[in-house]
Amino acid sequence: MKAKRALALVPVLALALAGCGGSSGGGNAGGGGATDADCAKAEVLCVGLVTDTGKVDDKSFNQSAWEGVQAAVKELGGVSKYVETTDTKDYGNNIKQFTDKKYDAIVTVGFLMADATAAAAKGSPDVKFIGVDQAQPEKDAPANYTSLVFPEDQAGYAAGVLAAKLTKTGKLAQVLGLQIPPVEKFAKGFEAGAKSVKSDIQVTAVYHPAGTNAFTDPVWGGNEAKKALAQGADVVFGAGGKTGNGALAEVAKASGAGTSVFCIGVDTDQWNTVPEAQKCLVTSAMKNITLGVTDLVKQVKAGSIKGGYFNGTTGLADYHDLKGAVPADVQTAVADVVKGLADGSLKTGVTL
Amino acid sequence: MADTDVAKARTAPTGTPPKAGNPVWELMVRNQSIVVPIVALVLAFSIGAFLIRTQGVNPAYAYESLFRAALGTPEGLLRTFQKTTPLILTGLAVSVAFRVGLFNIGAQGQLLCGAMGAAWVGFTMKDLPGIILIPLATVVGVLLGAMWASIAALLKTSRGVHEVISTIMLNAIAIGIMDTLVNYPLQAPGDDIARTPEIGAGAKLPEFGVVPSGFILALILALVSAWVLKRTTTGFKFDTVGKNKHAAGYAGIGIAATTIYAMALSGGLAGLAGVVETLGVVHRYESTSNNGLGFDGVTIALLARANPMGTIPAAFLVGILRSGAAKLQFDTQIQPEIVDLLLAVTLLLVSIPIIAQVIFRKRAASQAALSSGWGA
Repeated sequence: MKAKRALALVPVLALALAGCGGSSGGGNAGGGGATDADCAKAEVLCVGLVTDTGKVDDKSFNQSAWEGVQAAVKELGGVSKYVETTDTKDYGNNIKQFTDKKYDAIVTVGFLMADATAAAAKGSPDVKFIGVDQAQPEKDAPANYTSLVFPEDQAGYAAGVLAAKLTKTGKLAQVLGLQIPPVEKFAKGFEAGAKSVKSDIQVTAVYHPAGTNAFTDPVWGGNEAKKALAQGADVVFGAGGKTGNGALAEVAKASGAGTSVFCIGVDTDQWNTVPEAQKCLVTSAMKNITLGVTDLVKQVKAGSIKGGYFNGTTGLADYHDLKGAVPADVQTAVADVVKGLADGSLKTGVTL
Repeated sequence: MADTDVAKARTAPTGTPPKAGNPVWELMVRNQSIVVPIVALVLAFSIGAFLIRTQGVNPAYAYESLFRAALGTPEGLLRTFQKTTPLILTGLAVSVAFRVGLFNIGAQGQLLCGAMGAAWVGFTMKDLPGIILIPLATVVGVLLGAMWASIAALLKTSRGVHEVISTIMLNAIAIGIMDTLVNYPLQAPGDDIARTPEIGAGAKLPEFGVVPSGFILALILALVSAWVLKRTTTGFKFDTVGKNKHAAGYAGIGIAATTIYAMALSGGLAGLAGVVETLGVVHRYESTSNNGLGFDGVTIALLARANPMGTIPAAFLVGILRSGAAKLQFDTQIQPEIVDLLLAVTLLLVSIPIIAQVIFRKRAASQAALSSGWGA
């Protein structure tokens, strides 16, 4: 009897597990039911994506890039599929799944995959490779390898302008991940933007000490945010993966969150990725990864894609529920800044 | 650990042993340690098949594409062997420590020491010929791994610090040290990624067709470990200390010396796993590329029930599953985590004595506790 009951539990458990993993749906065929087998044909657009270690629904880089691929394939028709990386040593093999099937374009996500992508591009000169957030090789960069990069300083600058216009205490704080160029560009841009509003504004910046947990240390991020608040800062910019998220979540707990104390997220719209920070999250300094990937995939289809760096756009995420906390004239001023940065009429002055 | 519970559970089923006297049956009873993992594997794959089916995929097709990718092409085989190699070594490392009743959870930290030591020798002296460079890098890596493990052994013998606690903490310390090294003094100049420069061409381990030289080394070490543990006085001392250290002490075996020696051997093997990864696969130290290999050693050792020869099939199984996971996802959109699920179920079924009891009833062999546990 007992055994029977236990057996009856197995399918229930299995169903529950299947429900958890329900996000799998790695493939979608847009163009009249085309499949992998048709990828060798020139007229069928096949786009593959290899995630960095992490899932395709990470609400961050992997997901944004995958949404970009899907948007392009939906519009142009064709086949798209992803493979999720679990071990950094597998990058090459994961990319190979797509080159074996003669995909037209392969998107690889994250700066760690630069070497593997460059090597794969050399091995498959007919395939276009799009690397999100990747540095090109210093010499002999293959012509079929395009790096989608973002002017982080511009995103930081716009966020800095908004922060400077919101602060009452005149003190801004930044809680940052590892001190590497993209993070520094966010930070310097933020400072430059803030100082463009009030030159005497006080902007502090703390970087996480080096370590594999530099971007995954929400406890440290939270503590730094708490310190910053204690020292009178009333706008906190959290830029550094989960470390920054920890700072955002901490600020949301402070009294006055959303009225006199604010936080600003980074990379993607963190309203969605860090719901516990919604109380203070006024906006996020965003890299428009989805737009950039869609754009590049379209260029592949049109045959106009070029190797080397391709600059994506940045911007600020929606204000969501805190729209009321941002005065209308500030909203217009910030929108003008974003526009000026995008069309080049406004420079951040950040060099790195 | 919970010996009384195990004993109680073992006496619980009250059937008569079926088919007594049948020679096949007798053979199975004698080789329970082989039969049980195989049954566990079949059960795990059946559960996996069920889950794959619920995702709308034909399980036979899914398993076929996984195994074909791992074993069906020269490239796949090489990758499978590369993934198997460090797992055999860390599995051996944990198994050796089990023999003296120590639970070495620190294989990860010891592996990192070995990987970094080999990388450091490999890139600072990269102009040396391989015939000097490879042995030198190997010795440095193995010694660093052994030293790191010895700290836990010394703490155990001198102050009675439990090795589970100290090795876990030493893991964290090793990770911290390696991260600092690879982000600052040893980082490749001008590189955004936390990694050392590449090792010299001479330091890279060769491959013989689809067989990496590290794999051959791992096989030899498994054989040597099996021989040492079974046929030598060292092995006898290890087993005696592991089973009852008071008796061992009474018999004149130096408990402290044996503990330190076994732990250093264990650390050396884990360090060697790191060396082989650095010299054979990664060709530099990169902080993300050794994730979890040391902890996998615990899985392998448990699957193999601390039998050195058992680590080979256990590691090979894990290697195959990891090697074919990408193709599985590409072909079927099943997430690569299914592989970890299969392993976890297998390990669970091997670790608890249920299968042996159901199949063998009263003739189920008792499973000795692998570690002397908290009280010891």
